[in-house]
Amino acid sequence: MLWVGLHLPWLSLESFAATLPPAQAGQPLALIDAHHIVSANACARALGVTPGLKRATALSLAPHLVLGQADELRDAQALTSVAHAALAFTPAVSLSPPDGVLLEVQSSLRYFGGLQPLVQQLRATLAPLNHQVHCVSAPTAQGAALLSRLHDGLHCADRPALQKALDAAPVWLLSAGSEHREAVRGMGLRTLGELRRLPRAGLSRRFGVALLQELDSALGDRPDPREPVCLPPVFQSQLELFARADTTEQLLYGAQVLLARLVAWLSAQHAFVRRFTLQMKHEPRWRHSTESPAVTVLEVALAEPSRDAVHMLALLRERLGALQLPAPTLELGLQSDDISHRPPPNTELFPTPQSEHAGLTRLIERLQARLGRDQVQRLEPVADHRPERATAVHPAEPLRLRAREAATHRREDVRGTAPKRPLTRPLWLLPQALPLQERHSRPVLDGQMLHVLAGPERIESGWWDNSLAERDYFIAQTVEGALVWLYKARLPLSAERDGWYLHGRFA
Amino acid sequence: MDAMPTSLLPPAPAPVQSARGPLPSPETLHPSLWLAHQLGRSADNTLPSGFGPLDAQLPGGGWPRRVLSELLLPHPGIGEIRLLSACLAAVQKAGRLVMMFDPPAAVSAPALEELGLDVAQLLVVQTHLQVRPGADRLWALEQSLKSGHVGAVVAWLPQRLRSERLRRLQLAAHAHDGPAFVLREMAAQGHASAAPLRLALHPAGADQLALRLLKRRGPPLLTPLHLALPPVLSASALRRAQAWSEGLAEAPQPLRAATFINLA
Repeated sequence: MLWVGLHLPWLSLESFAATLPPAQAGQPLALIDAHHIVSANACARALGVTPGLKRATALSLAPHLVLGQADELRDAQALTSVAHAALAFTPAVSLSPPDGVLLEVQSSLRYFGGLQPLVQQLRATLAPLNHQVHCVSAPTAQGAALLSRLHDGLHCADRPALQKALDAAPVWLLSAGSEHREAVRGMGLRTLGELRRLPRAGLSRRFGVALLQELDSALGDRPDPREPVCLPPVFQSQLELFARADTTEQLLYGAQVLLARLVAWLSAQHAFVRRFTLQMKHEPRWRHSTESPAVTVLEVALAEPSRDAVHMLALLRERLGALQLPAPTLELGLQSDDISHRPPPNTELFPTPQSEHAGLTRLIERLQARLGRDQVQRLEPVADHRPERATAVHPAEPLRLRAREAATHRREDVRGTAPKRPLTRPLWLLPQALPLQERHSRPVLDGQMLHVLAGPERIESGWWDNSLAERDYFIAQTVEGALVWLYKARLPLSAERDGWYLHGRFA
Repeated sequence: MDAMPTSLLPPAPAPVQSARGPLPSPETLHPSLWLAHQLGRSADNTLPSGFGPLDAQLPGGGWPRRVLSELLLPHPGIGEIRLLSACLAAVQKAGRLVMMFDPPAAVSAPALEELGLDVAQLLVVQTHLQVRPGADRLWALEQSLKSGHVGAVVAWLPQRLRSERLRRLQLAAHAHDGPAFVLREMAAQGHASAAPLRLALHPAGADQLALRLLKRRGPPLLTPLHLALPPVLSASALRRAQAWSEGLAEAPQPLRAATFINLA
């Protein structure tokens, strides 16, 4: 067995920092619990704020100190996401509360090409979650957990190496028997090695059984079963913002944290998300009226399942940019249960039809997120003689675009593309036919007489759907030489005024 | 100076006899070099336009890729798409997408098919109806150019456009492997433009287009170019049109009373 122990020394501080607006990230931060400082970041420690200080003392030392309440639930959520990210490397992941995660990686070593590449990839996977991580590997779970609190990057290949490392470790590493810590120190015991050399019976009588049991399981002399982390079938994560968010930028900063957690959850099951929901819980007293909702829900559907946090954040940015929020936001929540399992896409060195298709899908998705779905259109010819009904406009569906068959047709060829027959329909259709003046029974456009060159082409259709068209179409030329498409309403009985109309231009 | 190290130069087509012999002319050294009276040549970076006389005048023998080509029109509907259709159809034939940004009127799908274009490989992006006006049009265009996955882009730009915006689009077009046409009002002719190719289009009679090259990589073309567009008119109608325009040029006679009989 080979266990990788992850220890997050600043977990609670980092999970608190994630709730802050980006402007406050570099300021001195500290967490308080029961009016005492429990943790402070480097900036605050430089000002003299240390754990154990009273709140008032800390504030007098550092007046700009940002104080947050320690929150076990928040820390647990952040730790769970780390465990989810680790699940992509091995199914045997267990939590080691309050701030550790253990992975059994013996069976994954060959797949990842050894311990070194595995740890490297693990660190890269954890990077978006924004935690400082200590990583230690050892043959026992408890040993890896203990040593990860002390070292970073240590590798104990076998039991003797582990024993040597543990013997040199200080006594305070053991969580059991912490109430006897003063007594242990008074006996002159500093390292675990010194503790281990004492008679076991006396040690357990004096300090309790738990101390020896912890040491035994760390050394591998005692079975140490661990409960693996199970992946919830539905992703759900909340983030309570420290300050209320008024702008999209502030919301996005929080959403980024949640999206990183979503990606960790997805990569644990090698899945891609199809649709996710962002909930924004608003400040009640800022609501303009009682009817306005307390929660705004933004649903983002992806054309192609993805687990690219950058792409999802870009989509969210466009969607949030177009959204009017009724009140400042206090809390963000992200939910998703619509996922698709499929093999991950191949990464390509050179552009291929598949990569171009995927890129196009993303482009169209981004355009639709910002401009609205109906603004990116595809056209479809309809078999109808009335020109205004011969084209149907639909919102573009990225997946309907054909992927290119092969890259061999790369060089475009203009031969054989010229139209064979004369064109009969103009490309530009006026949305509303423009009534034309008439001079000597001839149509006049912009004060210039039009010269009718071809026609009539009679179109009489649509009596069945209440928009009867009875028109004679002509092609005419303007004085400067452009060609236009005119019609003359044929019957005075038809709804349209008798006379000439401009309906299109040949582009 | 006599001992000019000719060996450092790339091999010239004409063998250099001695160090004193004639130096190779610059245009033979590299495709991106040309003399002021010549046309630029980058044949692999262009796409034939389908019009022989135009290809002969365009640097590299066709519409350039990876740069903006600016077309100035007096008004929409003078044959601009018929000018571009061969090139756009070729792009679609290669399996790539054509995108139109803010066309000036509703686009007719049957007309596109008559022009040889595939409507399934075409997207129309409308940006003028948006909540955040102004910036969206250029944003959408810039994103599409930058992505590099679109085969060809045809965009109608707003009339007033600052030249740095156009420069920004030109920079984005470097990533775009295909032709990018921006169509603007004729009034933009006097303004500076970052597009390396600028053309002014004028109608010149039925199914004819007069084309002036305002700017290209090479000397300016002073005489307008006349191109025969894919025809709309039949042969007889074309003769009628020519007779009419000749009549107009000779003597603007008062038109006689119409003999059109309104049967209704």
